[in-house]
Amino acid sequence: MTRTKSLFIALAAVLALVSTAHATLNVVATLPDFGALASEIGGDKVEVTVLAKATEDSHFVDARPSFIVKLRNADVLIEGGAELETGWLPPLLQNARNEKIATGAPGRVVAAEGLRLMNVPTDVTRAAGDVHALGNPHYMIDPIIAKTVAEHIAHAFAACDAANAATYEANYRTFAATIDARLQEWGKTLLPFKGANVAAYHDSWPYLAHRFGLTIDTFLEPKPGIPPSPSHLADVIEKMKAQHSKAIILEPFHNRKIAEKVAASTGAKIIDAAQYPGALPNTDTYVALIDALVARIAAALREQ
Amino acid sequence: MWEVMFWPCVACVLLPWLLVYLGIHVVQRGIIFIDIAMAQMASLGICVAVLLHLDLQSPATFAIALGFTLVGAVIFSFTGKRSSQVPQEALIGIAYVVATAAAVLLLSRAAEGDEEIKNMLVGNILLVSPAEVWQCFGLFAAVGVFHGLLRQQFMLVSFDREAAYQQGMRVRWWDFLFYASFGVVVTSFVRIAGVLLVFTYLIVPAVCGISLAGPLRKRLLIGWLLSLAGGVAGLFLSFRFDLPSGAAIVCTFGALLILVSSAAAIRDACAPARAQRAQRH
Repeated sequence: MTRTKSLFIALAAVLALVSTAHATLNVVATLPDFGALASEIGGDKVEVTVLAKATEDSHFVDARPSFIVKLRNADVLIEGGAELETGWLPPLLQNARNEKIATGAPGRVVAAEGLRLMNVPTDVTRAAGDVHALGNPHYMIDPIIAKTVAEHIAHAFAACDAANAATYEANYRTFAATIDARLQEWGKTLLPFKGANVAAYHDSWPYLAHRFGLTIDTFLEPKPGIPPSPSHLADVIEKMKAQHSKAIILEPFHNRKIAEKVAASTGAKIIDAAQYPGALPNTDTYVALIDALVARIAAALREQ
Repeated sequence: MWEVMFWPCVACVLLPWLLVYLGIHVVQRGIIFIDIAMAQMASLGICVAVLLHLDLQSPATFAIALGFTLVGAVIFSFTGKRSSQVPQEALIGIAYVVATAAAVLLLSRAAEGDEEIKNMLVGNILLVSPAEVWQCFGLFAAVGVFHGLLRQQFMLVSFDREAAYQQGMRVRWWDFLFYASFGVVVTSFVRIAGVLLVFTYLIVPAVCGISLAGPLRKRLLIGWLLSLAGGVAGLFLSFRFDLPSGAAIVCTFGALLILVSSAAAIRDACAPARAQRAQRH
């Protein structure tokens, strides 16, 4: 009995080795930023599928049948964790029933794991709006955090596909070196605006503010996920005038008219920004996205 | 395909029959938007639960939502007069906009994001779980038995209100029972399949049945066959072309309705000619 069992296990192990040696790794990323990193690290050894569109609000994603099929065939799943995908990912996973990407499996990458997130609420009540109990989940916009996540992804790829571990490691090193080099440039570009006040529609940018020394603490939404009320907008306009805020960061899926109204009253510029690679023109890679963000912020602040 | 679409398919086969039956009542009574008004009352109830800091998944929240649905049932049954200049549909519309606006006000005061409320109220047929399907089926079976036992009274109240009044029936109470059971059905199906699908399953098969046949049995049969065909075909198209499932089913029903009404129009156009020919012979 035990002998046949061990024979089976050995056979399964051989089969697993054979199949991973030939096939590319099927990687599903919930959001485009994880997808972009997965492509950087995996190169031609992986096949990356991204579920959410870059211009879509990552809190709400419309499920399609192919999502379940892709999750069913996935070797690796990369999710943000920190409750960003909590509204739509769990039911998809429940329907996909794939052991390889089950919680705790080597194929399941929770990018937020091991990161120290900002704005972790001390007291989690629903009264504060769509708050995230584990901290602000929009962390990928910080290049140094992105490097950590890339390393996390490289380790997961190596664990699921040992044959190509060296390639993944090398790709990670290249990515990390690029980030390190670009960080100098980005810091230099934004240095003149250190401490500048910038408003935003949604609280997506604490990591960017922290990394580059901007102050982004005025939001058009009274609380995350709550549409702006007239009295709150009046407060925002007053605050922006007092702080001499020169810009409002807006994402593609937010209400542009509201931002335009505030901009008209305060003389601030609207910065069309995005958290995800591909949402702005020519930003297919992570580095290109941060390049574009830094350039747009600098341009808006320089004008006045 | 089968692995992904199995439970949505089961849901589309096991659940719509009751909606088609209730839809025939709804179309006959001319209260087309009652389902959306009822669903909105339920969501207003959930907003109140949020204001009271209740857990959204708790039985208390469900009870409050149900309570608001019943309030809706009371409003609709006791405002429906025997003869009135104001159509019932106007009151339904008013109830819908006021409930929607009240929900917006409550949410702004509760400072609660609408994302979880949306998730809770508006399901996605693609993601139904077996437990949801069976629970909903059990509930529908109970409501179905209730309506089956009392079908004659419900029929009379929906189809011949004057006769019901003349027979001394307490029409308002029957209306209340109808609206209350209807509210329970709609609220639970919305949680599985979303608002668009509820409306479609209620109205489209009923309209097709009514335009193709006279007797209730034939209308029901046509409605049921159509709801099966539309649901399964919609799911297939959703899979084949990778479209959001609910919207694919709704558009399939739209196409079926066009087919059925053209068929009915051709039949009606041919009917006088055939009658003339029969006369000549």
